[in-house]
Amino acid sequence: MLWQTRVPDGLRLPELDNARVFEGAALERAETYERFLRLDFIASQLVLIVVLALYAWRGAGFARESAAGRIGTGMLLGMIGLALVWLSQVPFRLAETWWDRRYDQSDAGYVTTLFENWFALGAEFLFISLALVIVMALAGRFPRRWWIAAAPVFIGLATLFAFVTPYLFPTEPANAALQADARRFASAQEIEPPRLSVQDVSDFTDAPNAFAAGFGPTRRVVLWSTLLDGRFSEGEVETVLAHELGHHSGNHILESLAWYALFALPGTWLIALATRRRGGMRHPAAVPVSLLVLVVLQLGSLPLQNAISRHMEEEADWVALETTRDADQARGLFEKFTTLALADPDPPAWSTALLDGHPSILERIEFAEAWRTRSR
Amino acid sequence: MDAPVRLVVTDDLRRSRLTVFFRLLLALPHFFWIVLWTIVVVPAAIICWFAALATGRPPTGLHRFLSAYIRYGAHLAAYLSLAANPYPGFTGEPGYPIDVELPEAAPQPRWKTALRLVLALPALLLAAVVGSGSIGGGGGGRGSGADESWGGFLFSGGGLLVVCAFLGWFATLALGRMPSGLRDLAAYGVGYSAQTSAYLLLVTDRYPSSDPDAAGPRWSLPPHAIGVEVDDDGRRSRLTVFFRLLLALPHFVWLTLWSVAAVLAALVNGIYTLVRGRSAAPLHRFLAAYVRYSAHVTAFATLVGNRFPGFTGAPGYAVDISIGAAERQSRWVTLFRTILVIPAFLVSGGLSAALAVVAFLGWFAALATGRMPEGLRRLGAIAVRYLAQTSAYWLIVTDDYPYASPALRAADEPIEPAAELHGEAAA
Repeated sequence: MLWQTRVPDGLRLPELDNARVFEGAALERAETYERFLRLDFIASQLVLIVVLALYAWRGAGFARESAAGRIGTGMLLGMIGLALVWLSQVPFRLAETWWDRRYDQSDAGYVTTLFENWFALGAEFLFISLALVIVMALAGRFPRRWWIAAAPVFIGLATLFAFVTPYLFPTEPANAALQADARRFASAQEIEPPRLSVQDVSDFTDAPNAFAAGFGPTRRVVLWSTLLDGRFSEGEVETVLAHELGHHSGNHILESLAWYALFALPGTWLIALATRRRGGMRHPAAVPVSLLVLVVLQLGSLPLQNAISRHMEEEADWVALETTRDADQARGLFEKFTTLALADPDPPAWSTALLDGHPSILERIEFAEAWRTRSR
Repeated sequence: MDAPVRLVVTDDLRRSRLTVFFRLLLALPHFFWIVLWTIVVVPAAIICWFAALATGRPPTGLHRFLSAYIRYGAHLAAYLSLAANPYPGFTGEPGYPIDVELPEAAPQPRWKTALRLVLALPALLLAAVVGSGSIGGGGGGRGSGADESWGGFLFSGGGLLVVCAFLGWFATLALGRMPSGLRDLAAYGVGYSAQTSAYLLLVTDRYPSSDPDAAGPRWSLPPHAIGVEVDDDGRRSRLTVFFRLLLALPHFVWLTLWSVAAVLAALVNGIYTLVRGRSAAPLHRFLAAYVRYSAHVTAFATLVGNRFPGFTGAPGYAVDISIGAAERQSRWVTLFRTILVIPAFLVSGGLSAALAVVAFLGWFAALATGRMPEGLRRLGAIAVRYLAQTSAYWLIVTDDYPYASPALRAADEPIEPAAELHGEAAA
């Protein structure tokens, strides 16, 4: 049921050639740009695992820094783990900033890079504290079966988070013309128009982006200001808008939650299993191990997560084409993702599996062409 | 090791209401005088700096001149903040009721002399909050001309002295005496400013110690329902220091939630105390735990304590608050508690600013050395104790008024050895 899609069965995509779609220089620039980011990602994840493995091995010693009892000490160890993760990623973030600046993808300074996300880091500290309170309290009561009770709690929290996400970003209402487009497209997709907002991100990036967030009464589409800075035509922005509305009309937020719910139980079970040698999650000493297991599980499930995400993005692309009925604008938009935002149009398969939550640029262009052929 | 700059307090707390009422106007000649003196001191200090660099010790004549200036500044600050009563002389002669003893000229390491202005910055920052906020320790609390003429370019404020002077003015006019806690706190501020000035002006190469017991009389607390117990070895984990505020976030959230409940409980407790003349035992326990917890979190967040505190306010933390059982409380004091607590809130504001500076400076020091400087830690513990006393008073846990003296213990308790008395030099 979760794999259902509005993309027609048996849709045949034309096989396009990168070299014929993009100019050689633009193609090479995008490929070089993304190659570095991939290496940066791989290196950062290797370092992350090494750091967390070391922490799992020796991190329990930090319990001496706590006077907070079992659960409080567990919280402290969880937060220290996050702190180490943050520290271990600093060089890679700086390298990424250097690369982005070199390719004119960002004006952000290095100090800004280090400190701009401290509020987000604070939120992560709070989240992990809350998660550990839940897990360790349940593990105190049900030492071997806590995971059965914890999974529904985490699903509830994820649902709550998805519901309130639209309120976590400072945004401005979009202009009247875009609002009118949103109403028109929402009507075409047979949904109530969600709120349409613009987030000013010009201080830290030039990359274009948009996203759909919330569900029920909190549904919202947020366009980044970089999408409206004149580099994209009106029709291209409309394509983005229709795409994001496609996520809402396809209930993709709720579908994502359903996927999460599907994996929450086995995930918590694996953590419970892996931490038994440290006495289980009722003991603070198990917290560093649980962090390692959690990160390894997340990394291991990346191909699946990205496959699910690409499936939804494909559907949203298709719905956008059906809504705007303008393959030229869609194609123009996707091409600009490569020429302006330096997205590699045809990344290697391993990169797609690990890193890409969207179909490749070439696939999206092929998709637009397939729609054009089919709609004739 | 004895501190070279020592605060001497012989004040008897008695004040003349008339001179207190007109204190600022009476001090006007001193304002002019200290401006003139400061104009001379600036080039004198520069000459002294070159001479000390060249010869390895400040010239005796200049040293004596700068010492007199520091003493004069301390006298004036004490007079303005009502820490002392007599009209001070204009020459900085020893013998004033709030006085500083300064060392004779002695050899000083050249590297310390060369870097003096930079090294003095942390002490100047702290002096701006706890002291008079001026180079000579004079008059910053009232925004004197001298303050703005030189010291003002580096810092402004004199927060605690201003608060002491402001509250002391009303109290003295009413009672004819300066409250001893306020006087002690003001005197401590004057003493720390004098230490800082002496360090900056090359009178000594000993770094100022913010430990109230290090360079002055032994301050002590009167019997009080709320006390502080410090059992901390000064060691700090650099990792938890670096992320201290983030690590404290769950506690901030919990404390906020608990605060809402505590205010509601205090309301009920206030009504109960008005009727029965003492707190309800369960509410007393609940509010006492809140006061302790809030002190633990404050100590942890500001690096006064090291270990991650528990969430229940249970006793046993390294910087702990002792709270006695519920006792009888005056109904009048309970009825007007919200008004009576306002002066304590003002002092708390000044001490909170000091605590923020303690945390800021301590953060760098602890990252560099793995230890919290002893003086900063003790000053922090004093601030935590006062904040807890204020909180307990406001929440009707006790009717003992918060005591502002920079003391950690009662008079009959043995003084704790200052293992790292001069640890702040490392900061």
